Amino acid sequence: MITSSILVLFGLGFTAAVILAVASKVLYVKEDPRIAQLEDALPGVNCGGCGYAGCAGAANAVVEGKSGSNVCVIGGLDTAKAVAAVMGLEVLEAEPDLAFRDCTGGERAEQLFHYEGAGDCRAQALLYKGSKTCPEGCLGLGTCVAVCPFDAIHMGPEGLPVVDPLACRSCRKCVDACPRNVLSIVSMTERLLHQEEVNDCLAPCRQKCPGQINIPKYIELAGKGDYAGAIHTLRERNPLLLVCGRVCPRPCELDCRRAHVDEPVAINMIKRFVADWELKNNLRLEIPCARETGHKVAVIGGGPAGLSCAYFLRRLGHSPTIFESMPELGGQLRYGIPEYRLPKKDLAWEIQGILDLGIEVHTENKFGVDFTTQSLEKEGFEAFFIGLGAWASGTLRIEGEESEGVLSGTELLTGVGLNAPPEIGPKVLVVGGGNTAIDTARTSIRLGCDVTILYRRTRNEMPANMEEIEGAEDEGVKFIFLTAPTKVITDDNGCATHLECIKMKLGEPDESGRRRPNPVEGSEVRYSADTIVAAIGQKPSLSCFYSEDSDQCPIDFTRWRTVNANPDTLQTTVENVFTGGDLFSGPDLVISAVGAGRRAARSIHYLLTTGEIPVADNILRELIPYTLFKDVDGVINKDRSAMPHLCKGEHRTSTFSEVEGALSEEQLKIETERCLRCGLICYDRDIPLAEIKTTRVGEKVE
Amino acid sequence: MSRLWKEFSKGLWTDLPPFKIVLGLCPVLAVTKTADNGFGMGLAVIFVLTLSNVFVSAVRKIIPAKVRIACFIVIAASLVVAVELLMQAYAYPLYQQLGIFVPLIVVNCIILGRAEAFASKNTVLLSAADGFGMGVGFTMSLTFLGGLRELFGYGTLFGSQIMPESFKPFSFMIEAPGAFVCLGIVLAAMNAFTNRQRRKKGLAVLDNPTHDCKTCGICGH
Amino acid sequence: MKEFFLLFVSAIFVNNIVLAQYLGNCPFIGTSKKISVAVGMGSAVVFVATMAASITWAVQEYLLDPLGLQYLQTLTFILVIAALVQFVEMFLKKAVPPLYKALGIFLPLITTNCAIMGIAIICQREDFTFGKTVAFSFASGLGFMMALIVLSAIREKIEISRVPKAMQGTPIALIMAGLMSLAFFAFKGMI
Repeated sequence: MITSSILVLFGLGFTAAVILAVASKVLYVKEDPRIAQLEDALPGVNCGGCGYAGCAGAANAVVEGKSGSNVCVIGGLDTAKAVAAVMGLEVLEAEPDLAFRDCTGGERAEQLFHYEGAGDCRAQALLYKGSKTCPEGCLGLGTCVAVCPFDAIHMGPEGLPVVDPLACRSCRKCVDACPRNVLSIVSMTERLLHQEEVNDCLAPCRQKCPGQINIPKYIELAGKGDYAGAIHTLRERNPLLLVCGRVCPRPCELDCRRAHVDEPVAINMIKRFVADWELKNNLRLEIPCARETGHKVAVIGGGPAGLSCAYFLRRLGHSPTIFESMPELGGQLRYGIPEYRLPKKDLAWEIQGILDLGIEVHTENKFGVDFTTQSLEKEGFEAFFIGLGAWASGTLRIEGEESEGVLSGTELLTGVGLNAPPEIGPKVLVVGGGNTAIDTARTSIRLGCDVTILYRRTRNEMPANMEEIEGAEDEGVKFIFLTAPTKVITDDNGCATHLECIKMKLGEPDESGRRRPNPVEGSEVRYSADTIVAAIGQKPSLSCFYSEDSDQCPIDFTRWRTVNANPDTLQTTVENVFTGGDLFSGPDLVISAVGAGRRAARSIHYLLTTGEIPVADNILRELIPYTLFKDVDGVINKDRSAMPHLCKGEHRTSTFSEVEGALSEEQLKIETERCLRCGLICYDRDIPLAEIKTTRVGEKVE
Repeated sequence: MSRLWKEFSKGLWTDLPPFKIVLGLCPVLAVTKTADNGFGMGLAVIFVLTLSNVFVSAVRKIIPAKVRIACFIVIAASLVVAVELLMQAYAYPLYQQLGIFVPLIVVNCIILGRAEAFASKNTVLLSAADGFGMGVGFTMSLTFLGGLRELFGYGTLFGSQIMPESFKPFSFMIEAPGAFVCLGIVLAAMNAFTNRQRRKKGLAVLDNPTHDCKTCGICGH
Repeated sequence: MKEFFLLFVSAIFVNNIVLAQYLGNCPFIGTSKKISVAVGMGSAVVFVATMAASITWAVQEYLLDPLGLQYLQTLTFILVIAALVQFVEMFLKKAVPPLYKALGIFLPLITTNCAIMGIAIICQREDFTFGKTVAFSFASGLGFMMALIVLSAIREKIEISRVPKAMQGTPIALIMAGLMSLAFFAFKGMI
């Protein structure tokens, strides 16, 4: 009995051992030896805080590259160092991931109802869709506080959760618990990659900005005197602060809620102030970049879109190289915008800051001539961004426009930009009503000419910025409205002498909402001119896409002669070729090009790292209707600061010195205080909330 | 000596299983129909727990880490076989009452949990004290729960009639649902009591002890 | 056939392994906080319980019974189960990586899951044939999985409701399990 017992036990044990031993040889899966080492390095408590199934899952994720050395949320720096040692990496004290509260509403977002019973945000959201008037904002019941395993969140005095950055281990528990997506765990990379979604807390200005800049945040930081913080906020969306601070036509100001009280906040002047502050003190604030990924990306075109794309790619850790056909970077910023609006030295300073991140540049390298995407692919470039801009000018489509003395606005501006202005005559006629027309006119004034602008509609319909039009008027540019050219009259040498025009009358509004001009029969007039400048729209030049030996191009174009691409990802019909800027959208703002550059960089980042480009289904495409108010209550008038001018009179019209100036520090303080710190629907009132009798947000009670 | 007492006594209140350390729930629910059964089960656990702690502690330095858990299981299983044989010989009715829960002491988390958490790191004597203390605590808890369920379920305590004649036995208590609810309520009462004590002393109220795989941690994962 | 059907239904509903037989309570309470985890754990139990019951049945039938060593049942069973779990883990890792990814982390937890051992022992005590052993163990595993998933669904909802401080966590889970058990009592009338 005893013998057989012992025999059976040993037999069984031995058999099991043999089977397992054989199995472990036969079924051996070649496993990275680092996994076992990592499992030893991790604390082994299987808390699941990292989001992987236990420490073994986390070890696998690190080896597979899905997670970094900082995978363990409870181990702290020592564990991170141990993990990094296994992986042969070095722990860098990078910007940590932290829980971040997006909502600034708190008590400002009015209580719609006050429910008894539900003591948990999730229950409140589930049962009543929340209690705050804002459908996205913080409910303030503190579920995030309850779920935080590290006691890193507490309720602040404003009824909003406050994250303690020292205690937060970015475990995501609060993010998962919050029904309103008010909290997020943000790393720099995630912030740079984020596309605005309709459930983000977006003030109208933020919705409107084509660059998706967090405007309320930088105004608040600038108001507190944290100019560096404001610059960092701006740089998360826009590397060209000096440029935009000077030339941006400020679409954001159009929908500023302050406009319902007095005038919009001078958002761009605030941007310009902080940008100039960095420039004046020559600070060159450090711009953090993610860890090197080794992916090479070619950025073709060194204009605002290309610069922005290269800048964001670099910050995401990739290695972009810019190819530019002109002798210097900047594109239209350098060759289209005149010196008096954007001094070249400031532009150069800004571009240098971007290149200093480690971006390679090849100038005087023309796409389609010196290289093609195929040739670059052979050199190891994995993705391409093409931002060639819109350099071809529209033609007048009238008789005699090939005559001597007729040129396009871009030709004139580029010539001036290259320091080789074309010869223009004492009397200049500019045809067109856009910013290019005004730039051309004001440039010609500075070249000592007598300038008249011809526009076929009236002053009110001019697409140029009002400040620009006023500036041109101040400088002595004459305007002739409701007039369209019909014929160029030349002398015997073929030089233009007169422009024959016809008077126009405004008719019914067309698709763009502007009234369509109709010619008035028999109203022809002639204006004498030595030079006629056609500044009537620009479009991309596509010839470089076709090689000499074939007229086939794998990239698809639209019927407006722009590159066809997915508007969300900016991916063209070729998988690893992306586009943006004027080449994609047609002539547009600098900030639109900057925004497109970032979107393309985001797509390239995802394509190179994960193979697919995610697009959230709720990304912001148009202004969110309920955030556009007809009225704001409880706000007291405060006048907008006037735009300061740097030079006057003779000095202004005869030199290219910069015209517009920056605010003073006191003006900045006043201007930032004018900001209502809007959220989606909340804003700061001057009168206590209790004394305001609103029924629905944005509408006054009679 | 004081150290021994400390290790022993922590099982009686501060770490009382299964209320303070929520481990080994199956026998707690299954065998507490009566106080007798609970007590008997408790004794079996005291025997296995104390000895397994002693053996594990004795061999803790020679066992390689990789096969640690397997060895603990074999030790526990051998002890359980011994208990089975002893019970068959001396307490056969009880053995029948407890049914498959006697062999299942092997896989009771409390045995392996203490082996892993305490015995594999401490001396033989301390481990014995820890195992014995935990075992006694476990027995107390089982007897208490068994008594509670027996009292309301049958109206008796250790087999003798306690409740008055007019008392209608509350048979819910002796069925499976009663076991779950009863344990839940006792756990909640313990938590409430601990929280009150802590609040009186001005200490922060702790989170409830939870039953979770991470509190067990015996599988090494 | 009818016999098997009854055995099946009875193992899943009437004599549910957790709710009526008090087995596997630790993982039942411990891994029922999230539905996704519950599904993984449940499937792992179904898989291992069926295999363990079949193999231990063979060990008992061809090794212990002929030699008259029934008293070694506990020791041999736990040995066999522990080895089996190790083997299954290795096998899945090599042969079916997707399944390993889904169940892998739950397998080690199962060695000491009393439901596995309990099912194997019940099959012996009831003197099941091999066919019945397979059917019963599989059905019991399914019963465990169902109970686990239902409880985790309830607990996900409880997460967002107001529970008195002292009841939070395990106590309320146990009471919910009790109510589920009470509901399952209704199946008693089925057979």
